[in-house]
Amino acid sequence: MSLLEIKNARLKIENKEILKGISLSVNAGEVHAIMGPNGSGKSTMSYMLAGRDGYELDTGDVLLDGKSIIDMTADERARQGMFLAFQYPVELPGVGGISFLREAVNSRRRHIGEKELDHLTFVKEARKAASSMFVKDEMLKRSVNVGFSGGEKKRFEILQMAMLKPSVSILDETDSGLDVDALKIVSEGVNSQRNENNAIIVITHYQRLLDYIVPDYVHILSDGMIIKSGGPSLALEIEKNGYAGIINAA
Amino acid sequence: MQLEKNNQFINSVKSYVKDFDDASYRILASKDFKNWPKPSEETWRLSKLKNLSKKYIEPIHPDLRKNKSLEPKINSSIFINFIDGAYREDLSSKLPFGINLSYLNEEEGLDFLSKIKNTDLANHPSTSSSISCCPSIIKISLDADFNFDETVEINYSGGNDFKSVHPVLFIKLNKNSKLSLVERFQHLGPLIMPLQLIEINESASLKSIKIFEDSDNSYNLCANLVTLYNKSIYNSFSLIKGSEFTRSETHAHLKGEEAVLNLNGVYLSGSNQHHDLTTAIYHDVPNCTSKQIVRGVLGGKSTGVFQGKVRVAPGAQKTDGQQMSRAILLSDKASANAKPELEIYADDVICAHGATVGELDDDQLFYLKSRGISLEKAREILINAFLEDIIVQSVEKNLHGFIFDEAKQGLVSIIKSNVLK
Repeated sequence: MSLLEIKNARLKIENKEILKGISLSVNAGEVHAIMGPNGSGKSTMSYMLAGRDGYELDTGDVLLDGKSIIDMTADERARQGMFLAFQYPVELPGVGGISFLREAVNSRRRHIGEKELDHLTFVKEARKAASSMFVKDEMLKRSVNVGFSGGEKKRFEILQMAMLKPSVSILDETDSGLDVDALKIVSEGVNSQRNENNAIIVITHYQRLLDYIVPDYVHILSDGMIIKSGGPSLALEIEKNGYAGIINAA
Repeated sequence: MQLEKNNQFINSVKSYVKDFDDASYRILASKDFKNWPKPSEETWRLSKLKNLSKKYIEPIHPDLRKNKSLEPKINSSIFINFIDGAYREDLSSKLPFGINLSYLNEEEGLDFLSKIKNTDLANHPSTSSSISCCPSIIKISLDADFNFDETVEINYSGGNDFKSVHPVLFIKLNKNSKLSLVERFQHLGPLIMPLQLIEINESASLKSIKIFEDSDNSYNLCANLVTLYNKSIYNSFSLIKGSEFTRSETHAHLKGEEAVLNLNGVYLSGSNQHHDLTTAIYHDVPNCTSKQIVRGVLGGKSTGVFQGKVRVAPGAQKTDGQQMSRAILLSDKASANAKPELEIYADDVICAHGATVGELDDDQLFYLKSRGISLEKAREILINAFLEDIIVQSVEKNLHGFIFDEAKQGLVSIIKSNVLK
C-alpha cells in the first residue's frame, strides 16, 4: 500500500481549473520531485495536500496511509502525519519559537497517544534538534520567523519537520531564496530524516536542489497535469533543455 | 425627591455642591438619571446610553455593615476597599508612613470642584452625578520624595439592584514621589460612576492599572482627570472585560515640560458588550510626550470604541503625540470603531495616529494549523501574542503574569463562542 496516494485530483479556484486530474503514488522510503514552470499548479497542489481552506478537491481523493484525508482540516491532517514546509514561512510576531514548537509537537503526541513532553524535557530535545540544523538557541527564543533571514526561515522549517517526524513531508520550493551554503545545510537536514517509514515530496523549479536531495522519481507538472514521470535523469534533462521541449512533446 | 434621599448621606458634600453652580449635575441628580448625553453629542455618538435611560436607578446608600470584600489578587501588603462607593477603613490595610488617606473637607472639596469645573470633563455625567451622590471624596496623597516600591491595590465592589455607585477619589503625588496602583472594578449594580482626579507633581511618577470587570448588566462610566507637571510620568493601562457597557474616559492635561504620558488599554468584548476607551490629551506646554496604544478583541455582537483626541496648544513645540489602535474581530456581527482626532496649533511637533480593524490573519492561522494545532488553539495563540505585545509595553514586569491571566480569563469565552473560519 502506498503511503500517499493522489487519485485523479481536480480542483478549481474561482472557476478556473488549476489541477486537472493528478494521480500519484508515493511509497514509504521514497523521495519524489515535482518540477514545473511557474503557474503549473505546484503550490496549489501543496496547499491542497496540506488542507488549506479554499483548496478543497472538486473530484478525486487523497489517501494518507490508506485513509482518505480530503474531509480533514489542515490540523487534523498534520496530526495524521502530513507536513508542509512553506515556500514563504509565515511570521508570527509575539509567538515564541519554543512554545510554538512545543504546542505543535504535543498536538501530534496527544493524537498518537504519546505523553506530552514537559517544558524542560522539551527544551532539551528542541535544543538538540536545533543544533543539528544549525539553528541557534537564540532563534528559538525569538518570535517565530520574525527577523529571520531566508536561510534561517528554511532551517526552522526543517527543524519543525525533524521534531514532528511526519510520515509525508512536502517541501514547497525549499530552495528558493537560499545560497549554496544554506542549501547544503537544509538539504543535509532533510536527508538525515529520510528513512524507510516516511516519504518526501520535493517541489522545485530547479535541478540544483535535487543534486543534494536525490529523488527516486521526478514528475513534470504542467498546466495542472503530470505530463511526464521518470528517474533523476529527467531533472537533468530539464536543466539542459528547459521545460518547453517536454511540454511541447507532451 | 432623590436629592432628599442623597442628603441623608452626603452631608459632608452637600455644602460645597451648592457652591458648584453648574446646572448640569443638578438636572442629572434630580431627574433620576434620565438626562443622559444624547447621541447628537459628538463624544457620545459611538457610545449610546439609550438602554441606560430605560433603567430605573437611584444612588445607593452605602451599607457600612456589608462585609463582603474582595481578596487581594496580587501579592501586595496595601489593600484598600471601597464598598458601595464608600471607603471602608475597617476592610482596608493600614497605610505606611508617606501615604496619606483622608476625607476631603469643605475647603478641599471646593478646590476639587474648581479643578474639574473649567475642563471638558465637567460635562461628563459622572462628574456631576458622582460629586452630588458620592458618600465622601477620598484623597490619597504621597509625601514628596516618597517612593513606595510595592503595589497598592484598590478594589471597588458592592452595588445593588436599581442602585448607582459613586466612588470619588483624589490622588495626589507630591514632588518626586512614586506609586504603583492596581484598581479593580467589580460591582454588581446597574450603574457605576467612578470619578478620579489625579495630580502628578514635578518629577513624580504614577503607574496605574485599571481592571474593569463589573457584572454582566452593569454600566460603568468612569471619568478621570489627570494633570501632569514638570518631568512627571503617568503610565496607565486599562483592561476592560466585564459589564454590559463600560466607558473609561480620561482627560490628561500636560502642564509641565518634559512630562511623559502613556495611556494604553485593551478591551476584550463578547456577546452584547459595549466597551469604550475615550481619551483627550491636552499638550499645553512644549516638550511633552504622549503615547496611546489600544487593542481590542471582539466576538459575539459586541462593540468596541476608541476615541482619542490630542490637542497641541499654540506654543507647545516639540510635542510628541502618538496614537495607535488595533482591533481584531472574531465574529462578523462584532464591530470596532476608532476615532482619532488631532488638533494641532503648533508647527514643530511630531503627531501620528493609526487605526486598523480586521480578522485574524489567514496565513498565520493556516501556518499554525499545518503544524497540527487546532483552530481554537491557533486563535488563542495569535490573540495572546497580539495582547502580549501591548501588556509587555504597558505594565511593569512583576505584573505581567497577573495581567496576562486576567486577560486570558476574559478571552476564553470570546474565543470559544466565535467560530469564524
